[in-house]
Amino acid sequence: MTTAVSKRVTGMALLVLAVWAAACSGSSSSSSTSADKGPIQIWTMEDSKSFTALMQDFTQQTGIQVQVDAVPWANVNDKLTTAVASGNGPDVMQVGLSLLPTFQSAGALLDLTPYVKDHPGLQSSNYLSAVAADKLNPSGKVLSVPWVSDVRVLFYRTDILSAAGISSAPTTWTQLHDDATILAKRGQGKYGYYIPQWDSALPVEFTWEAGGSVLDSSGKVTFDTPEFKKAAAFYISFYKDHVVPTASDFDQTQGFISGTTPMLISGPYLAAGITSAAPQLNGKWGVAMLPRDVAGTSLFAGSNLGVWHKSKHVDASLRLFDWLAQPTAQLNWYKAANELPTVKNALTSPTLAADPMAKVYTAQLQDAKLLPLVPKWDKISQALLDSLNSIVLKGADESSTLASLNQTVSSLQT
Amino acid sequence: MTVTAIRGEAGSRRFAFRPMRMRGTLVPYALITPALVCLLTFNVLSIAVAAAVSLTNLNISGLADHSQVRFVGLANYRAMFVDPAFWEALRNTLFFVALGVPTLVVGSLAIAIALNHSKSRFFRALRAFYFLPAITAIVAISLIWGNLYNSQFGLLNWLLSVIGKGPVEWLSDSTIAKFSVALVAIWRGSGLDTIIFLAALQALPAEYYEAAAIDGAGEWRKIFNITLPLMRFAIFFVTVTTLISWMQFFDEPYVLTQGGPVHATTSMSLYIYQQGFRGNEFGFASAASMVLFAIIAVVTAVQLRGRRGEEA
Repeated sequence: MTTAVSKRVTGMALLVLAVWAAACSGSSSSSSTSADKGPIQIWTMEDSKSFTALMQDFTQQTGIQVQVDAVPWANVNDKLTTAVASGNGPDVMQVGLSLLPTFQSAGALLDLTPYVKDHPGLQSSNYLSAVAADKLNPSGKVLSVPWVSDVRVLFYRTDILSAAGISSAPTTWTQLHDDATILAKRGQGKYGYYIPQWDSALPVEFTWEAGGSVLDSSGKVTFDTPEFKKAAAFYISFYKDHVVPTASDFDQTQGFISGTTPMLISGPYLAAGITSAAPQLNGKWGVAMLPRDVAGTSLFAGSNLGVWHKSKHVDASLRLFDWLAQPTAQLNWYKAANELPTVKNALTSPTLAADPMAKVYTAQLQDAKLLPLVPKWDKISQALLDSLNSIVLKGADESSTLASLNQTVSSLQT
Repeated sequence: MTVTAIRGEAGSRRFAFRPMRMRGTLVPYALITPALVCLLTFNVLSIAVAAAVSLTNLNISGLADHSQVRFVGLANYRAMFVDPAFWEALRNTLFFVALGVPTLVVGSLAIAIALNHSKSRFFRALRAFYFLPAITAIVAISLIWGNLYNSQFGLLNWLLSVIGKGPVEWLSDSTIAKFSVALVAIWRGSGLDTIIFLAALQALPAEYYEAAAIDGAGEWRKIFNITLPLMRFAIFFVTVTTLISWMQFFDEPYVLTQGGPVHATTSMSLYIYQQGFRGNEFGFASAASMVLFAIIAVVTAVQLRGRRGEEA
């Protein structure tokens, strides 16, 4: 009797134990498949509030926690230097395309090549051809994925142009120059066009439009081409004919709103600036594709995302990349922050087609190129601006200054 | 017995004396050790590191991967001496020093003497007022002055237009911009120098002035024959510190013009910053800062020597 009872008790105990063990192993195996729950730390630029809001959706859907730190554009380089020197970085970094070469040469970004086949968000076919993997990383690695795009278009004041008898936005270089000349004749202190003195991309865009390239066949930057000479001459002509302001502290948003400079080439961020600073101007300005010479190629700017080379949450970070590459996430971000998608499927969405400005941006994105992704570009572009500015502002001799620019550029790349 | 006692006494005295003398020599060293350690780690060591880095090609890739750092000898110095931007930065720094230091020393001294004239409530309020620029954040200063100077909507150009004068390109003309930037720095630096002069003025003994007044000396005579000679040390101190800070001139051009238009307001410090932190060329920037360090060291040594000669 007692033995039977004890046997039964033992049997029950074993059963309970077995069930408990099974339950345990079950729970442990399910937690190992969902793996990395973060928290992942992200360095984004500026608008951290909207990005945090976007990340709430991501956390809700995936259970991965995200911590967003905003880095002001002006401090990106200092922040990067400190991170590289100390080895302490976030998991994910937003990298402006102009800074990408610096990040890559610093070895700050993890090569994602082994993960590409498992992560649709990393696959180049999703993205605009200007930011295809081979263009971003000529050495064959996948160090970053596109996130948002930005493109230069022509901004113009419809009210001022039509008052001066110009019915539509200029579509060629000749029209741009002629219209600017007409607009500059409106009176003292009025100009036709604006050239930002800090904008090294503009002379490069002009070179592309003249049908040239700023890279030679070996991948080095060169300004020793007939197309660049033509671009430089076009750039200088605006100053020669006094149709652009010479003040170095000229504010482009103010200039456009006040009508002092009714035309300029800039990115969508200027549209956001105008709308918030001068809502009363709504309907009195528009954007157009860049005026063409031989071509109408614009600058492709924007930001990529990369994984910090020492990140411990690579898996969670890549799942974030997949999530952000979905058209819905891209479009939600466009609505929240007015930054354009890089994913092709998002760019064809009716949301963008309904907005006349976004229509121009998306059309121009099809004909846009990256600045040369070489680590010395910062120094080279500074030399380019110094040369052009000393010609137009200090009256330096055009041909000898450009000749010494070519020398500087080639010595910087030896 | 007595002999042993004396001997014993002498022995014990000698015994006690040694550690006493040891302690006597060690104590001063022990007392200056903390200051010395700070000086060595934060000044001497960092200068030595900069000197060593200036002989390498350290840049951002080298920072990430130390195996890429190479010894390049004096290549950074050679590259710098053929860089026209370096010479322009050096010339600009000399210009800023030549304009800023005399203006500041003379101006602050004049303000301090004027403020010291009375101890009334009005003058006490003025003293606080003159110190305001020194305690205002540089970002706020740059914002305000940037707006005053602005070519589109600046107050200065608007005032000029009111009296029928054309606009001035305060920050865009390469010559005027130098003066505009220096003016802000003079305005900002005047507060501190004035306070130092005021403190020195208030420590001057009143008897000399009373005696001079009895002898019939006027205000100007008192200033030139009593105040200025007695203030020699304060003037020397302010000159040395002002000179050093102007040779390291950085804040105002950095926030107002970023060194532009086309390097016209780039000082040596700004040049170093641009090379080191914008271009990530740490080796090159270290070489440039060694040159600036050498210049400041020489200038300061010459001043100190001149002062010693005067005292002898």
